[in-house]
Amino acid sequence: MKKAFKDTDGYGIIANWMAEKGNTPFDFQLQTWESYANNYSGVVVAPTGFGKTFSVFLAVVIDYLNNPDSHKKGLKLLWISPLRSLAKDLAKAMTAAVEEIGLDWTIEVRNGDTSQKDRRRQERLMPDVLLTTPETVHILFSQKNNSKFFKHLKCVAVDEWHELLGSKRGVLTELAITRLLSLTKDLKIWGITATIGNLEEAQNVLIPYDGFKTKMIVAKEKKKIEIVTVLPDDIEVLPWAGHMGTKMVSKIIPIIYANQTTLIFTNTRNQSEMWYQMILNEAPDLAGQLAIHHGSIDFTLRNWIEDSISDGLLKAVVCTSSLDLGVDFKPVDCVIQIGSAKGIARFMQRAGRSGHSPYEVSKIYFIPTHSLELIEAAALKQAVKEKRIEAREPMVMTFDVMIQFMVSLAVGEGFDSKKLYEMILRTHAFQFMTKDDWHWAIQFITQGGNTLNAYEEFHKVIKDDDGLYKVKSRRISMLHRMNIGAIVSDAMLKVKFFSGGYVGMVEEYFISKMKIGDHFILAGRVLEIVNIKDMTVFVKRSKSKSARAPSWLGGRLPLSSYLSQYLRIKLAESLEPKTSEKELKFLHPLISQQEKHSHIPRLDEFLVELIETKDGFHLFMYPFEGRLVHEVMAALIAFRLSQIKPLTFTIAMNDYGFELLCDQEIPIDESNVEQLLSKENLMDDVIGSINASEMASRKFRDIAVISGLVVQSQPGNRKNNKSLQSSSGLIFRVLEDYEPQNLLLRQAYTEVFNQQLEEVRLKAAFERISHSKIIIKHAKSFTPLSFPIKVDSLRQSLTSEDLDSRIKRIKNEVLRSTQI
Amino acid sequence: MSLVTKEIECSGETLKLTNSRVLYWQREKMLVLSDLHIGKTAHFRKAGIAIPSQVLHNDLKRLKNLIQHFDIETILIVGDLFHAEVNKDIQTFKEWKVQFEAKEWRLIKGNHDRLQLSIYEDLGIEIDKSFHERTPFRFVHDVNHCQEAIFCISGHTHPGVLIKGRGKQFIKLPCFQVSKSQLILPAFSEFTGLNTGCDDKGTICYAFTKTNLFEI
Repeated sequence: MKKAFKDTDGYGIIANWMAEKGNTPFDFQLQTWESYANNYSGVVVAPTGFGKTFSVFLAVVIDYLNNPDSHKKGLKLLWISPLRSLAKDLAKAMTAAVEEIGLDWTIEVRNGDTSQKDRRRQERLMPDVLLTTPETVHILFSQKNNSKFFKHLKCVAVDEWHELLGSKRGVLTELAITRLLSLTKDLKIWGITATIGNLEEAQNVLIPYDGFKTKMIVAKEKKKIEIVTVLPDDIEVLPWAGHMGTKMVSKIIPIIYANQTTLIFTNTRNQSEMWYQMILNEAPDLAGQLAIHHGSIDFTLRNWIEDSISDGLLKAVVCTSSLDLGVDFKPVDCVIQIGSAKGIARFMQRAGRSGHSPYEVSKIYFIPTHSLELIEAAALKQAVKEKRIEAREPMVMTFDVMIQFMVSLAVGEGFDSKKLYEMILRTHAFQFMTKDDWHWAIQFITQGGNTLNAYEEFHKVIKDDDGLYKVKSRRISMLHRMNIGAIVSDAMLKVKFFSGGYVGMVEEYFISKMKIGDHFILAGRVLEIVNIKDMTVFVKRSKSKSARAPSWLGGRLPLSSYLSQYLRIKLAESLEPKTSEKELKFLHPLISQQEKHSHIPRLDEFLVELIETKDGFHLFMYPFEGRLVHEVMAALIAFRLSQIKPLTFTIAMNDYGFELLCDQEIPIDESNVEQLLSKENLMDDVIGSINASEMASRKFRDIAVISGLVVQSQPGNRKNNKSLQSSSGLIFRVLEDYEPQNLLLRQAYTEVFNQQLEEVRLKAAFERISHSKIIIKHAKSFTPLSFPIKVDSLRQSLTSEDLDSRIKRIKNEVLRSTQI
Repeated sequence: MSLVTKEIECSGETLKLTNSRVLYWQREKMLVLSDLHIGKTAHFRKAGIAIPSQVLHNDLKRLKNLIQHFDIETILIVGDLFHAEVNKDIQTFKEWKVQFEAKEWRLIKGNHDRLQLSIYEDLGIEIDKSFHERTPFRFVHDVNHCQEAIFCISGHTHPGVLIKGRGKQFIKLPCFQVSKSQLILPAFSEFTGLNTGCDDKGTICYAFTKTNLFEI
């Protein structure tokens, strides 16, 4: 069989073409081509830089060269990738390849940026290869007569599948594929992914269909990663988040100069703005060679920055996850990660942004922003060595996405209820959907809800005379097309110069707290607000020194559970570090301070600290489970404590632990601590301790937008459908009152439990604690572990100036008391 | 839901605030409310957004209870009676209103009230273009039509307050905003958003729930 494939004309042509360029195919490419030729679908797992694109793309080309007659005119390969920017460059590379091979294929991109003219042309005759996004595929589905576009499709390829999996965009992709299967015969499905913890599952989610031969092809080639931790000059025995930053700037500058192009990753847009300013202050020479890139910066400006990186015009770019993915920038030879990357996969992915050629080493510098992050550096190193990478959990039963899909089809060609039900049931996401659920969904889009309550004048989707469900109103069709997709952004305002020129976007939430004449930083510039009108903030340049960097909501990612596990291991080992672990050795003064005045928890221990200060009685616990879980745990412990004695607490937390502060003594000691941390009645107590309805209402925001209950206004768009504006919170309330059985409401509660409360992780944490020895320590002042949590809580209520002096005061108190 | 009221003094007059989103001026036997946005839910439904009609029925039921509870001659709506186009909700309102034909109905036109005048006439509602004065008050929709030295009663902004709880929890409640020179009414319809921004230090917010009304 193998010989036969290598004897084919198609393979010969490709092998020759590669040989002419001095290349030989990697094993995994060869395997993919051969599997494809043998009618397999599957998943290719390969690191970036090894030509994973060409594994699937050339497989289709070879198949065409071998069987030209079985391919008809029109679309042959549909390439779905999560990023628009990726498509442009991929299309270029693919076009170059087919031209050199001598194939008359057209390769085109279609997404939100495609011009009206090009779209109409594509609709008349589809190119041979179309590169697009999941959203655009669904927009295609909402057009009249769209099934003819896909009639002769041979392969659907999903690039960066690991990025889509685990999000609602992944569900959009699943739904797109199940529909494509109904439109064309013998479709092959291929996914391309980076290494993740659940590859098997990733493949099953992409290809759950009966009758498919599947194969997982894992590249042997590995990307080498070199991790360098940049140590500060001296150790802060009392660390606090963010503080070390200013001191570390001077350490970054030489790294920037020593490399050709450096990407500097920060975790939030806010941080990226701050670091951009700090680097420029420290090294004014870099002006013009330093850029800033994040999701709120004008699209064309971002494109310009990306092009400039490719052309080697920039020395460094401060960025956020906005550059995690995307085009391979050849000149980038160095990556700097500022602060915790919060996850192993993300850290490795960022590291991989440098040294893109095969076998080149990816170099990443880790800059801790407080001393404790040095433990994280040690944890990351070990995790990377052991290749323990987080899993991406696929989303299921996301009815908002399903409703959107149903309406898209109704806007397009219309659908038959029974056929569509069976089609959707075949996907991984909806395999457990019941007939009742489906019935509800049909009712929701045709009548608005329960028949008992009248939904007068609601005619979104209508069952037509031919038995198909269709949308007849042009207005509803138009509104729906505008709303297709699963990325819900906060209400954003455009930021424009008064004199003309577009700067970027800020969240409405941030601007709502500011007044005309206030200053803020965006895209590295200090701006003064002149006017706010039509979803646009008009600004002028300002020389003001004091300006706020916008804090975009949702910027704080919690620590991944894999990383937190390594963190606990490293902390436990930190008293006797291996000689190779310079981070832990460096941290020794802090560790010994913690051990002396409190305790360093070993792997089978759980530390509880009780500290009494002028502010009151503090209770600290250190589960190391990430911010979100701590938020829930803190509320839960407060709830259980208040059952012993009615008390009021102030809650604070970070990724390592949480604090409960009370003005009275907290009734906790060896006799009841196990009871307080018990896993019994866990979820009941959690529900008692939180306001689930409030949390669900927040989760409902995305659901309402995706399912079309809230019309998103387009920033700067004149037609912002003002009379249809309403908040998702309002709709949530109305539905809770009048339609409590609405599946979208239920979905919001489910999402609270899965994502906000991280039920699985929470249970696992309590399970672990129940097997641990609980150690209670009384300390006279803040310990190295508790101090960062304390500072984080101060930050919320104080301005930054007050904060500095306040922290200094607390530090002095601590140092005085520990010296005695 | 139980009716909770609180009397406050403005320009020497006693006004009764209620947790039913209206204020009652006893001396004039007047019920003052704002932002009913009738037709909003139907407007949404027409655009394919499923909002139950129950919302309007509930609003009207609440208004009926209030009209029957207090001794009332005049119902003054300080703007935004209707949300958008003529639709079935407006028909529902018309049929509902028949029972209170003997009362005086007045509307100060709000930014949403853009229907033909004949429609209001047909409903038996007196229209004031931008304000209505009844000593010592000036009633307007939007504070832009206030005048210095006259106490101004308005609507339009849908005022609310944000109450922060432990952890990162918070709730939003509708409220009356009262200062030395003006009073802003909460929106009457339950299907309205809340604006919680209030910079003015001299303003007192009277927030309310289904069972309570309190000062913040």
